[in-house]
Amino acid sequence: MSNKLYWIILINLYVTSLAIGQDCVLTVRGQVTDEVSSSPLSYANVFIQETQVGTITDDKGGFILANVCPGHYHIIISHIGCQSEKFHFDVTQDTSLNILLTHTPTELGTVVISGKQDGLSKQSNSSINRASIEDNSHQNLSGLLENETGVHLIKNGNGISKPVVHGLYGNRLIVLNNGIVQSGQQWGNDHSPEIDPFAADKITVLKGASILEIGGGNVGSIILSEPNRIEREPHLHGQANYIFESNGRGNTLNLRLGKYNKALAWRVNGTLKKYGDRKTANYLLNNSGVEEANLALQLEKTIKDRLFVDFYASTFNTRLGILRGSQIGNLTDLEAALSRAEPFYTEADFSYTIEAPRQEVAHHLAKIKAKYIINDDRYIEFIGAGQINNRKEFDIRRSGRTDIPSLSLIQYTFNTNINYKHSINDQLDWKSGYQNIVTDNTNNPETGILPLIPDYIAWKNGVYSKISYTKSNFVIDAGARYDYDRQTALTISTSIPREIIRYENAFHNVTGIFAVTRKIGAKQSLAYNAGYSMRNPGINELYSQGLHQGVSGIEEGDISLKMERALKNTLEYKFVPSSDIALNVLVYHQYFNDYIYLNPQEEIRLTIRGAFPVFKYEQTDASIYGLDFSSQFTLSRSLLLVLKYSYLRGQDISQDIPLIFMPPNSLFGSINYRINGLKTKFKNTKLENPEVEINNRFVFRQNNLLVSQDFVPSPGAYNLTSLKFSTDIITQALKIRSFIKADNLFNVEYRDYLNRQRYFADDLGFSLVAGINVKF
Amino acid sequence: MNLTSKISILSFFCLLFITACDKEDPDVVEPPELITTVNVTLNTSMGGPAVGMSFRDLDGDGGMEATTVGGTVAANTTYTGSIELLNESISPSESITEEIQEEDEEHQFFFESSIPGVDVAYNDQDADGNPIGLSFILTTGDVGSGDLTITLKHEPEKFEDGVADGDITNAGGETDIEVTFPVDVQ
Repeated sequence: MSNKLYWIILINLYVTSLAIGQDCVLTVRGQVTDEVSSSPLSYANVFIQETQVGTITDDKGGFILANVCPGHYHIIISHIGCQSEKFHFDVTQDTSLNILLTHTPTELGTVVISGKQDGLSKQSNSSINRASIEDNSHQNLSGLLENETGVHLIKNGNGISKPVVHGLYGNRLIVLNNGIVQSGQQWGNDHSPEIDPFAADKITVLKGASILEIGGGNVGSIILSEPNRIEREPHLHGQANYIFESNGRGNTLNLRLGKYNKALAWRVNGTLKKYGDRKTANYLLNNSGVEEANLALQLEKTIKDRLFVDFYASTFNTRLGILRGSQIGNLTDLEAALSRAEPFYTEADFSYTIEAPRQEVAHHLAKIKAKYIINDDRYIEFIGAGQINNRKEFDIRRSGRTDIPSLSLIQYTFNTNINYKHSINDQLDWKSGYQNIVTDNTNNPETGILPLIPDYIAWKNGVYSKISYTKSNFVIDAGARYDYDRQTALTISTSIPREIIRYENAFHNVTGIFAVTRKIGAKQSLAYNAGYSMRNPGINELYSQGLHQGVSGIEEGDISLKMERALKNTLEYKFVPSSDIALNVLVYHQYFNDYIYLNPQEEIRLTIRGAFPVFKYEQTDASIYGLDFSSQFTLSRSLLLVLKYSYLRGQDISQDIPLIFMPPNSLFGSINYRINGLKTKFKNTKLENPEVEINNRFVFRQNNLLVSQDFVPSPGAYNLTSLKFSTDIITQALKIRSFIKADNLFNVEYRDYLNRQRYFADDLGFSLVAGINVKF
Repeated sequence: MNLTSKISILSFFCLLFITACDKEDPDVVEPPELITTVNVTLNTSMGGPAVGMSFRDLDGDGGMEATTVGGTVAANTTYTGSIELLNESISPSESITEEIQEEDEEHQFFFESSIPGVDVAYNDQDADGNPIGLSFILTTGDVGSGDLTITLKHEPEKFEDGVADGDITNAGGETDIEVTFPVDVQ
């Protein structure tokens, strides 16, 4: 993984006419400024692709490129540790470019509070930009987030991973795909979010309390996966990415094409992925391959500069293999698996074949958004979306039933949002809206197994209102939301004769937020964010009934569960003394009243398959608190250092015992070295920005756990090192980026506490990844 | 697929008229592969009565408690044992024994005894010459008592060390059955 995740370039091109020009005597001059610290950015590389002429900014951030002919150009700007970005501009006369570069990570750098934003929140966030998405999308969406502070992954092998932010995941963590709440079977720890990261330009983690526009009943953080607006490029433009990974002999291919036209702008993004068996330090993980095929279409239309209509449709389809040795029966089988050095069924032959146990998941989304600008101060926005999530899980079964899924669910979700925003004056903004979500979940009876999750239909209706008040050096945000949630669930009794029991539920959710951001001088800021929210018990928490395959436990819901209430407070301090140094410290505390969790019972249930532990959904009071620290130091013109640390602790305060499945603490460091001397040029091809990066992630052992809370002690601490070399190759027509990196460089043997496969097998060993990205 | 599209069309109309439409009752699944009953029969040609033991859990995991019936066998006797597996949650009940016979290479029973002097040996083979255990020979020693645990593994690694001799350690696979019978030797 790359620390380059943190680099976001925001560019404002101000093209001003200076003089009437003639052929090839024009001058392009400019100034590069760090948006965060407002200081000039020296040693940034500035390069015009078409003319192959480049320069470096001086100590005042300025640059001059002389003798430019009139025409269409693409300027490429880069700085140490920051992947280059390319922008289109026209030269008809002498041109001055004013370039604002957010060269500090956004989580470090959102000191800027001038200028009211239309974004969702001013709360603490960290994000991953397109360049990093291009380099890392051989992984899934969650994998991209792994090196962010406060973010961890729950995995089930390597194809399946779910993000965890500040200790919360699943039902408590919202993933927004292009503004729409991703709807699927989030309750399952072995269910990844069904999103193609290649379709996104930016992936953001919002760590604050809650976001009113998106939904009440959300006690956790939010992950946003967003495409940008289509570039204002009048020609057909696009890019192709190909990444090969040695471990798993994985191939990832992505193609993106787009064209801007005043009548209609369009962009298409397609991804194909195929991985075979992955390998640990010592042995193959048989049946751990992945296949994926995704397509996304984005359309934009502007009508009379007042009405903006966006259409977005995407389809995500995957087949995932699950380590054969991890499908077990009862507790005895688990004990047998735990005592093995290598998992059962380990074979030496690599294969791309995906057999049971496996998952087949399809997720389709269609969304339309219309935004009407009433006048300079007001707009109204309508968003409508539909989603289909189809999940099938196949286990090893008797008598040819392996080809029949053991879990087969189809879920339809319809979202309707209406938002209205009014900028009352320069200081005060008001936003209000209505949201409706209908979720219809049905088990396909083809499985021949009593369903774990019942059929249900859920309606959510919410209204919210919030204000944002900005004064010279502080911003206050406050708002509230009310939701009325209704559910109808149809369970099948576990006793015979089988009966259908119909449950009707209704919940009232109230959410409130309050946030103050204060700028202290030009270089520091302090932000406080408080959020109170309520969450309904999830369908699985209320009605689960039966054996959870692969977890080797009987899970029982409780229909008498109450609402879970949470109060989260965060305090964030940012210090950006210059464009060279940035520091960010975030402390958070979240208190839960009636926290719903799966409690292992003393009871061991005897079935014909032997003994199984019983887990019941229960409620307790809990608290989760922690600290995220990140920092960045530009040590010289060619040396960049990044350091990050995440600390988290979760405690059941009623019983004074640890909360299980909480992320261990971690420490991340990286050094980037830009080889400035190396500027090779063959004919019209130029090697730009060659860079070496070495990074290291140390994950501490999870010590906050009682022996009785797990089948085995938590795995030990581990340290992973990664080495990467990357460079741009620029020709007159193309910008090519290529990289090669070694992950788990020392082939370390390790297991991760949040990877459920740790009961059966080690985590991934050494892997070589090579990628090429061509922009045209 | 046909069913899926039916569901989707239904759901779609249902959602269009959100308030008017209620969720339809689900189809009640009758799990065809559920094993509810294990019957063990011990016969002897040495003059004693046949012995029957059983384990029944008619509604599967959860719900009602299972019932176990152990047995009393004669000391110093050789029994020919057989195992019958049934799904009695559906009517008429279905024999799972046949499924095991059809996929005999993918199944194996294991016997574990805490009864002094009791020994169990396989009395059948799959096409590879490995044991199955639907038929077995049980020999008793002196008077005593203890437990006999019978385990059925699906997809065990039958060629691993000791597995064909009835040692479960290296077998792997999923446990389809694990039942324990109290046995008295008199």
